[in-house]
Amino acid sequence: MFKKISLFLAVALIGFSQLSFEQQADPGDRLLGVWEPSNGRARVKIEKIGTKYYGKIVWLIEPIDPETKLPKVDKNNPDPALKSAPLKGYRMLKDFVYSGKDTWSEGTIYDPLNGSTYSSTIKMKDANTLDIRGYIGVQALGRTDVWKRLVVQTAPKK
Amino acid sequence: MSQFRFTALTISLLLGAKSAAWAQTDTTTEEDFSQYANVGFADKGSKRFCSPKIEGLSPAKLISIGYDYQAPYTVNAGALASSIAGNDLFGAESADVRRTDGLRLACNIPVVSKNNLVWQMGANYWNTQYRYEDPANLVNPVNQSLSQFGLRTAGVNTTLFKPLNQKEFILFQGSADLSGTYRLSMQPARFLKYSAAVIYGRRPSEKKQWGVGVARTYRVGELNYIPVVLYNATDARNKWGVEMLFPARAHVRYAVNPRNLLFAGFELEGQSYRLWNNPVSASSAQMDLRSEELEIRRGEIRARLVYECSLKNFVWMSLQAGYRLNYRYDVDRLVDGEEIYRAFGILRDDPYAVTNSLGNPFYVNLSFNLVSP
Repeated sequence: MFKKISLFLAVALIGFSQLSFEQQADPGDRLLGVWEPSNGRARVKIEKIGTKYYGKIVWLIEPIDPETKLPKVDKNNPDPALKSAPLKGYRMLKDFVYSGKDTWSEGTIYDPLNGSTYSSTIKMKDANTLDIRGYIGVQALGRTDVWKRLVVQTAPKK
Repeated sequence: MSQFRFTALTISLLLGAKSAAWAQTDTTTEEDFSQYANVGFADKGSKRFCSPKIEGLSPAKLISIGYDYQAPYTVNAGALASSIAGNDLFGAESADVRRTDGLRLACNIPVVSKNNLVWQMGANYWNTQYRYEDPANLVNPVNQSLSQFGLRTAGVNTTLFKPLNQKEFILFQGSADLSGTYRLSMQPARFLKYSAAVIYGRRPSEKKQWGVGVARTYRVGELNYIPVVLYNATDARNKWGVEMLFPARAHVRYAVNPRNLLFAGFELEGQSYRLWNNPVSASSAQMDLRSEELEIRRGEIRARLVYECSLKNFVWMSLQAGYRLNYRYDVDRLVDGEEIYRAFGILRDDPYAVTNSLGNPFYVNLSFNLVSP
């Protein structure tokens, strides 16, 4: 009998914790979604793994490498082991943590065009706009790109 | 007690299972990427703008520390007559220069760097020392000035890139430089030389941009207003390309890989230098250069090969080697404190106060640079 009561209490607690989690959603999760850099050449899906935020490339305007005629790989990566990794699905944003005031910091951004990884912070200007700054050492030595939120449009059913 | 432990264990196992499910969010799962082809902006009013860069372009230098060296050559300095009655005429003099060298420092810091506006501010300092074979016996004031003081340029500059839409942009560059034979005590700011360029450009693809505009420049030594052409392009394989802001510079680029670049081309380099300090002369004849209002109009073409590579992360090395070809090294005398604007001889044809000629030596330039993201 006591075991049944214990099990009931446990399930009730889990249910309550989930309800409480949903009611008090992490403000950092506003970053989740699909975003487009200003050049419109790629689309990046930001996800949360554990307590950190990561962004992977989910679409490329030119998915095929004109040299090899195959899907683009991360051929400019300085790590030889990663040169054959497909660019689609590649995590170019890593390790961001929400630090309050609409800012995600302590992350890195990777530029597949030259194989460089920069320190990075993300500032949410409004619900659909991000200022993503990549920098070297100090934030003054960097560049900011404006990313826009995308909504995936489901194709009408025939 | 055992029942309490069971309850705690049940709760912790259930919570643990939930956390594990969170941590495993998409690390290895296959995803249907095709769904991301059909998207729209969440904010309907969003606009795309063209970037100031194209694919394959060599990285912009944020901070640069360089050394420039020119091999031996001969300076044939022309005769100089003073504008002040009673002062002597200084005869022509040919003198050998053992080497010409100096530091070149520059920085360009982004002030605003967004997709709808890029604004950079920069500063530069160039020091050029002329090491003559026999400095004690020089008599011509031009040779004496170069030997004793060398030439310096200190300046500030700004670059503004304003994209109008996805294809068009406006580029503005402006600079103010103080150039002359000053040393620790600088010459007055009224001798600043202002240069500027404004370009309307188009960026038809990620691998090409071009533009046309006008520039106020001292690159051939004296003030000129000239048309300029911007053209940057990279081939489909990101191997070959062109980087050109004609007539200031033009290079063909070959990328061994994105971190090792080779260039062949030229740069037109020049400035107008105030003869500010009076050189100490061993001869009895001496001229008060400060009251003569003289400026060296230096313009040269640097035909060169350049190798640029990443040493580590964002620290790049640039090695130039080629020939420094003299275009002009004449001395102009200001008229009522104003520069003579000849417009390549179309508007005026005033003779120079001194006509000099220089040999065309081999040169190398080595710099270490922190490059921009």
